[in-house]
Amino acid sequence: MRLRYGIVAAMAVLSAALFSFQAGFREFQTLEDNPSVVPPDANEKTEFAFARLMYPSGRWGWGRRGSWPTDYPKADRQFVQGVRRLTRIHTRSTEQVVDLDSDEIFNWPWIYAVEVGHWNLDDAKVKKLREYLLRGGFLMCDDFHGTYEWDVFMAGMSRVFPDRPVVEIDNADAIFHVLYDLDERFQVPGIQYWYSRRTFEKDGVEARWRGIYDDKGRVMVAICFNQDLGDAWEWADSPRYPEKYASLAYRLGINYIIYAMTH
Amino acid sequence: MFEFLFKYPGALFQKGQFVLLGSWPVWVLGCAVLAAAALLFWHVRRHGGLMGGARPAVIWMLQTAMVALLLLLLWRPAISVATLRPQQNVVAVVVDDSRSMALEEGGATRLARAGEVLGGGLLDALGKRFQVRLYRLGREVERIRNTEELTGNAPATHIAGGLAQVLGESATLPLGAVVLLSDGAENSGGIGRETVAEIRRRHIPVHTIGFGSERPEKDIEIGEVSLPSRALPDSRLTAEVTFRQFGYAGQKARVAVRDGERVLASEEVKLAGDGAVNTHAMAFDAGAAGPKSLRVSVEPLAGEQNRENNAVTRLVQVRETKPRILYIEGEPRWEFKFIRRAAEEDRGLELVSMLRTTQNKIYRQGIGNPKELEDGFPATAEELFAYQGLIIGSVEAGYFTPAQQELIREFANRRGGGVLFLGGRMALSDGGWQHSPVAEMLPLRLPDGKGTFHRVQAGFEPTAAGLANVICRLEENGARNAARWKKMPLLADYNETGEAKPGAVVLIESAPSGRRRAPLLAIENFGRGRTAVFATAGSWRWKMLQDHADRSHAMFWQQLMRYLVSESPAQVTGGTPRPVVSDESRVELRADVRDKEFRARTDVTVEARIIGPDGVAKTTELAPRPFEEGVYAADWNAEAPGSYVVEMVARRGQEEVGRDVFQFRREDGAAEHFGTSQNRELLEKLAEQTGGRYFTAADARKLVGEISYSEAGITTRETMDLWNMPAVFLLALLLRGSEWVLRRKWGMV
Repeated sequence: MRLRYGIVAAMAVLSAALFSFQAGFREFQTLEDNPSVVPPDANEKTEFAFARLMYPSGRWGWGRRGSWPTDYPKADRQFVQGVRRLTRIHTRSTEQVVDLDSDEIFNWPWIYAVEVGHWNLDDAKVKKLREYLLRGGFLMCDDFHGTYEWDVFMAGMSRVFPDRPVVEIDNADAIFHVLYDLDERFQVPGIQYWYSRRTFEKDGVEARWRGIYDDKGRVMVAICFNQDLGDAWEWADSPRYPEKYASLAYRLGINYIIYAMTH
Repeated sequence: MFEFLFKYPGALFQKGQFVLLGSWPVWVLGCAVLAAAALLFWHVRRHGGLMGGARPAVIWMLQTAMVALLLLLLWRPAISVATLRPQQNVVAVVVDDSRSMALEEGGATRLARAGEVLGGGLLDALGKRFQVRLYRLGREVERIRNTEELTGNAPATHIAGGLAQVLGESATLPLGAVVLLSDGAENSGGIGRETVAEIRRRHIPVHTIGFGSERPEKDIEIGEVSLPSRALPDSRLTAEVTFRQFGYAGQKARVAVRDGERVLASEEVKLAGDGAVNTHAMAFDAGAAGPKSLRVSVEPLAGEQNRENNAVTRLVQVRETKPRILYIEGEPRWEFKFIRRAAEEDRGLELVSMLRTTQNKIYRQGIGNPKELEDGFPATAEELFAYQGLIIGSVEAGYFTPAQQELIREFANRRGGGVLFLGGRMALSDGGWQHSPVAEMLPLRLPDGKGTFHRVQAGFEPTAAGLANVICRLEENGARNAARWKKMPLLADYNETGEAKPGAVVLIESAPSGRRRAPLLAIENFGRGRTAVFATAGSWRWKMLQDHADRSHAMFWQQLMRYLVSESPAQVTGGTPRPVVSDESRVELRADVRDKEFRARTDVTVEARIIGPDGVAKTTELAPRPFEEGVYAADWNAEAPGSYVVEMVARRGQEEVGRDVFQFRREDGAAEHFGTSQNRELLEKLAEQTGGRYFTAADARKLVGEISYSEAGITTRETMDLWNMPAVFLLALLLRGSEWVLRRKWGMV
């Protein structure tokens, strides 16, 4: 009996030890939206990694894959190349997919969530996301458009923070000046711009840069609404995608990261 | 027994000079002894045929010693000593009349016992041979006519001052000796070398008679209370309380810190063995700005003989200042963000940061104006020394010019600021700091070479010194604090470090899996300031991996940053060596005046405005202290007991250089309740150094026989024969007897 208790206790300690360590890079090949070569330094231990939030999506035609891996992993890996080249942030060449079901999210104080107009968060995930943000985590939301997707996003976010409003981020806010001065921003379109020549999707005609602030006036959630920075990062290497959109997408993304690392 | 064997008291032999009164020269005695020895040697050799081995030599030595003794007696050995002439000398009898002498032990006070000794024959015996002047001793000495004037009510005992006064008053008198009756509970900080030197110069022996038990039966007495004299608002402070107890070993007592009626901290501690020193660290919040008079106490236990020595007062000036810390960071990282957040939560600190976001851009936060740090890290002492603290993050040493590296060193050394070096991939050894001039100021030795930074989660453990230190106090209760540290998440990374330098204190050790433990957080005083190394960039996990309401991370960082700056001096720093004076009125006021580069300033006038307990303000000017550049001082007479507030202002012409405010307190009637056991060591030392002798109350009658042997006053030299000492006859008997016994044993008689 004692031996059995001993084994159970040892396993419990071992599991706790394993879970207390930060996870490394992991590929999700079957879920890749736009595959990309794994760089040789994919497992380098760095200060920053592009953390992509894995969350459950609603019924809206995403199948088993869900909406979270949109543009994954090419957008992530192409964006961090810019972060490495343009800043002094010690950055990993690969992304880190973080499942909201685990506590791993607390090891990644900056996280990116795409297509949040389709997320479907249960109570446990809502609670975890709130705790993450209150501890000092930073969430960047991107690539959702129009009234319907906004409503879906808010259905989840209003449960995360029922008491905190979503507001337009003022031009003077440090988030638009921490590295690049981004007073003059414009709508960054997705790949649909190639054939539609429209910068907007659905009824999301006007780009919005919104946020949720903490009690000290710091942005916790940066919401890129009616725009698609992820596509801009993903197709920045394509001559068909206009450079001015890619450039702004990089600058915004870098500003958001540096802001998260300084505020 | 001594006097029976040697005929005279021991003091005679100590003070007298050995002489031979015989008319023949001493060399004749030497020759006679040698001749006798040779003759006896010949005799023993010739007639000692029956003896073998060492026996003839033993017999020869015994016979030679006997003959030598007899020859010595023929030369009339004697002792020559100076003695006081009867009725021509003065003897001062000084009786300690302080409150500690009024303590009752075994049914009578110490003073009553002293009265018994004096009245029981000592005064009469002295009076028959000398003129006796009787004094009572308190803060000063006062001449009295008889012992009935003793009250046991003097608030302090200043033995040194009292003896100096007796010597001064009797400068024209033939003072032959001083007799001091006391418990040795001296309150003026001991008997100075000057006083002893003056007594020795006049050859006046001070005989001491000790009263009081040398250890109390049941008592707790507070000794040292170590507490910073200045603090920032809402700082966590640690009072290190030292006390001793007798008669309560193993029991529990409550230690408390109070501000007026408000209890700031209170903990129960288990008492160590009798006489052993108990040390206990109490953490508490300094509260709002203003002067604080804190009462630190050990609650009295049942049956304590003296309850007045269970508490002391300490003064803390909580300053309404907001020290500024400059934090330079070489790369964006999570540690930076969470340090900034911790500082922003602290309304007593201001963190100004400069972060290298790109190769060519520095992001500044917390700056006072757009010009601040516009040109990067300060290049002049005036600009850098305007901050009180400095944090250097993941920045290579090579980023700074040699002049800037020297400024960083001088920031602690000359300016008196606090400098903290963080870990990181471009910090410490990986940043090449071990080869820079700054390495000297680090509390740790750094390993040589790069590759010492490991981005691997690592455990850690506070040391015993760390758990007691205010920086690591997350809980006021010691046990809860230790438990809380055990629950802290792993660090995200760590730097390898070397051993701590002498004088440094290691507060936390890193304990990475599969590697040796090494100092993680270490602190040290350097020059006028302080330095620290925190060899990680991964304490942000203490915030992200714990509940959002948990304040461990913020508290740790706020306390670490406050440690850096809480004692960083301003250009003008006022103070007094003893902020609480007991039963004294003289207070030394001091000011240290520096320019903006914190070099000593000698071209200013310093004025102190003192507001006493009666609310009346008085001013005094401080004078430059010789041999202490930039230091100005004045002696102030605190006439009444109570609290005094001092404002010092330094001016050069009409220009104000700076000002400072501090407080001190005069307490009367407190000193005599501390150190109440008989300080026999002090009394013995005083007697020994002056040529006198220490007596217990029971032995005091022997004093009469010995006091005459003195070289002070009017003396006469006496010569006393030694040949008729019983010890001589006993020795002769012993020598002859030994020879006879040995011969019997060896069968020769």
